[in-house]
Amino acid sequence: MRSLRHRPHSLIGAIVVLTVIAVYALVVPMLTGTNPGLTDFAAAYQPPSGSHWFGTDLAGRDLFVRTAAGLRVSLVIAAVCAVASAVLGVAVGVAAGALGGWVDRIVMRLVDGINALPHLLLGIVVVALYPGNLVAIVASIALTHWTQVARIARAEVRAARSATYLEAARLSGATRTRIAITHLVPAAAGQGIVAVILLLPHAIWHESTLSFLGLGLPPDQASLGTLLQDARAAVLTGAWWTLLFPAAALVVTTLAVGVVGAAVRDRITPPLPERAIR
Amino acid sequence: MSLQAHRITAGHHGGEPVLTNVSLTIPAGSITGLTGASGSGKTTLARVLAGLHTPQHGHITLDNKPLSVAVPGTVAMLFQSPRQAVTARWTLCRIIAEPLRTRRGRADTVHATAQRVGLTDDLLARRPHQVSDGQLQRACLARALVQRPRYLICDEMTAMLDPATTAALTTVITEETRSGLGVLAISHHHGLLEVWADHVIAWA
Amino acid sequence: MTTPALTLDGLTVRIPTAAGTVHAATDVDLTLTAGQVHALVGESGCGKSVVGAAICGLLPRAATVHGGITLHHPGSVDVHLEGAGARTWRKVRGRRIAWIPQSAATYLTPVRSVGDQLAETCRHLRSTHTPVALLTRVGLEPAVAGLYPHELSGGMAQRAAIAFALAGDPQVIVADEPTSNLDPDLTEQTLQLLRAAADAGAAVLLISHDLDTLPAHTDRIAVMYASRIVETGPTAAVFADPWHPCTRDLLAALPSGGLHPIPGMPPTLTDLPNECVYHRRRPAPGFSGGPTYIAQHGDRSVRRLIGAVS
Repeated sequence: MRSLRHRPHSLIGAIVVLTVIAVYALVVPMLTGTNPGLTDFAAAYQPPSGSHWFGTDLAGRDLFVRTAAGLRVSLVIAAVCAVASAVLGVAVGVAAGALGGWVDRIVMRLVDGINALPHLLLGIVVVALYPGNLVAIVASIALTHWTQVARIARAEVRAARSATYLEAARLSGATRTRIAITHLVPAAAGQGIVAVILLLPHAIWHESTLSFLGLGLPPDQASLGTLLQDARAAVLTGAWWTLLFPAAALVVTTLAVGVVGAAVRDRITPPLPERAIR
Repeated sequence: MSLQAHRITAGHHGGEPVLTNVSLTIPAGSITGLTGASGSGKTTLARVLAGLHTPQHGHITLDNKPLSVAVPGTVAMLFQSPRQAVTARWTLCRIIAEPLRTRRGRADTVHATAQRVGLTDDLLARRPHQVSDGQLQRACLARALVQRPRYLICDEMTAMLDPATTAALTTVITEETRSGLGVLAISHHHGLLEVWADHVIAWA
Repeated sequence: MTTPALTLDGLTVRIPTAAGTVHAATDVDLTLTAGQVHALVGESGCGKSVVGAAICGLLPRAATVHGGITLHHPGSVDVHLEGAGARTWRKVRGRRIAWIPQSAATYLTPVRSVGDQLAETCRHLRSTHTPVALLTRVGLEPAVAGLYPHELSGGMAQRAAIAFALAGDPQVIVADEPTSNLDPDLTEQTLQLLRAAADAGAAVLLISHDLDTLPAHTDRIAVMYASRIVETGPTAAVFADPWHPCTRDLLAALPSGGLHPIPGMPPTLTDLPNECVYHRRRPAPGFSGGPTYIAQHGDRSVRRLIGAVS
């Protein structure tokens, strides 16, 4: 697949989509007159219409507003998890890569151990210990995903450590601290940022899964997962809109974030020498 | 005034050290050539002389003082592959100016030195992937000269270069020796060293 | 008897890049003869690698090619390769035109042994040679077939690359700076292998900047500057008596010529003017610059200013 450097259309499209989604998720729930929790049982399971663009759910709540609220909650949780994973992962990864020796070995065995466990099960265990607790949900996602970031950060640092250009820097008089700041941290941070962006879709899915299984947020609180949980039963009664819109929001968001993440990664990776002329 | 290796034993290759009890003197103000077969330990010696590698036995002195007490940056080095010796994300200008961030120096020396090695201003704004190996090696020489080293070790620096660039860089280095720079030139091109170096050491 | 194996006729390659259109090759006339080793030299960035890539069909997709690339074979029809499609190139590459890259080891798949990859090449080209025979021909032990690319030394990897190139019995072999990282002994061995390939009937194009080695191992030489050919002729004659100032300066830059640097920098190849570019770098008294043409004198040719007195 050609790098996105040469195919800006998909990147521009993804950015446009993400902007629309961000506006939708952030602005709609804040508009006066909208309340995702407003129930109206008389209007339950109404198909999409002029007054309810996305239809209504089992409690008569307007799905246009509710999906926006759910999207916002899911995005916020995912962002917090991604940042927490990244901070933890970069810190541990850079330390392991820079220090080497037994520190590196112990850290990598720990990473391998965590990676060996099915992360969803691990996440379920954490939330089961503290049911309904938002911090537990964030922790369950962060604790299972920081290892990917740590691996990438450590690999960058280790590759940089044996590089000739670091030797050249040492010879020009740079102290070890200076080298770490000007060379190692930017290398690790660049890939760390990419890892964060690419973690976001996964975090969104993880939270949605937990909520879908009833282990995340309580059902009356809107999140993409709880909306999908509601849709499970509703679809059987023919209310297709209760499934379509939250699911579409989930898929479109994760795809768009993935495209942007890949573009950021391509931009950050130093390009190969141009072979046009030698 | 010289950079000296005293009875160096270093490196290992299949359990045996690559260098055993090797001594070498690089006088200031001249170019010492070193040639020999691949695997004879020339690069290991170069790294030990530069302080990048600690020998198992022996020591290095710079002007009769241990190398460890020398000011960092006194010994500079040029490597065989310029592309691996530079930070891929930086512009050539920033690469050349890197030594100035750690030592007191003047920014205008960057441009002056770049001119001497034949880099025009528009090349300074480019990144490594946009320039050829020859231009990158010129930038590496400029970076080495900017830090005003007393000794310069060139480890097969002409391996990737065409004759014109080789001639340009060797001429600049020769001019620098007139101001007192001591050079160790490692190359497997015996013909080049015969013309360029003041004296040549040939290892078996 | 000289049988032309490949003819380049006014080859012009333009490659669009972000920085502008690169004039990679302009009006290149070159004839490769079976049984001869033909050298192509010039400063880095002059376009010699692009000529080699054009002959092997390895140019970037965005490149535009004008002029003729014609493959001749006695007894069969000429093949015109300029503008040829992928299907034509598949039939030609490896079988009739082979490529030996610089840094050979990086061109091999790291997870398969050398013998395995060589066998696949022989199968694909329906070659009559066996991997072991090819390895022996280039001076490698049969045991090398079991090694992986990272286990090969630089010299072994270069010889393995030549073995791959010979697998299809090609008429034309293009070697792109095969000796640039090798020490003198390995350089000598590599060049002798190329000479042996030429003696067996192939036309070899050796792109190199190791000028000192060329008189002993090549028959003809072509010098390029800023995308154009400036001089051609028998190697020994050109070295003994260079006609074009660029050739003179290149030879003077060699250690044997005194290590004299060429003043100035080679031009970047975007938007070159259609006149003597070398004159702008090394103005000579009595010359005023301007458009040029190739003057043929027997088996030598040189680029001259139009209207200049010889």
